[in-house]
Amino acid sequence: MSESEPRRLAEDARSRVRFEEEALELSDQVYRVARRLVSSREEAEDLMQEAYARAFRSWRSYTPGTNLRAWLLRILTNLNIDRARQRQRRPEEQPLEEGDYFLYNKLEGAQRDGNSDEERVLERLSQDDVVDALAAVPHDFRDVLVLVDIGDFTYADAAQILDIPVGTVMSRLHRARRILKRELADQVEVEA
Amino acid sequence: MTVGFELDPCAKCEEVMQPFLDRILDDTERAEAERHLDKCGYCARRYRFEESLRRFVRHAAVESMPPALKQKLAALRTPL
Repeated sequence: MSESEPRRLAEDARSRVRFEEEALELSDQVYRVARRLVSSREEAEDLMQEAYARAFRSWRSYTPGTNLRAWLLRILTNLNIDRARQRQRRPEEQPLEEGDYFLYNKLEGAQRDGNSDEERVLERLSQDDVVDALAAVPHDFRDVLVLVDIGDFTYADAAQILDIPVGTVMSRLHRARRILKRELADQVEVEA
Repeated sequence: MTVGFELDPCAKCEEVMQPFLDRILDDTERAEAERHLDKCGYCARRYRFEESLRRFVRHAAVESMPPALKQKLAALRTPL
């Protein structure tokens, strides 16, 4: 029996190394999501390091063959939610009257010739507008928006990562997109 | 509370835009929305805008990871 112990340890070490390498390979993709969950690059870097340190410590709780990117982001979003809670920020509860056509109507209305096509209307928005508008979305809503619309996760994956029901993912996502459009409309207003 | 396509088609079309684009509408509602979009330029433009906006947000939001961070993450690995 004592002979199998070194073999088991060696196998264990190999599994761990494989896990760590796979996790590191995914780090660019994880960062892409992490960067938009928080407002500054420094915060994103801190969060990544904390999440990866925790992932490397608890690698045994990952089931090989399951979605590792989702597993990593579950750790990361949990850490981020804890941090947000410490900052005592309240999610936005104010009513949102604007419908889904709001941003287009607003941008089109500001166009001199009016009634222009959708591509020209979109040209009025810059990359910075999007980055600023995303940062302004309250974190509960932003988490879902970033996971689904930027991280390409399904509703079911996002629900699992954030530990909320799929129905909540959908309602937050719809609301998040509307908030984002309202923020974009505000950005354009500021620039005008 | 919610109106149907026969009462106020453009309002209904706006209401179902997100589930339509997420492809989670049921077949009946989807067919109704498509019928309306075929003949309503106002709604069709707004749907196309929403699709372009989603693509635009996806691209605009991407920021590559700083190379130094990758090294820091690798340094967190358990030493052999």
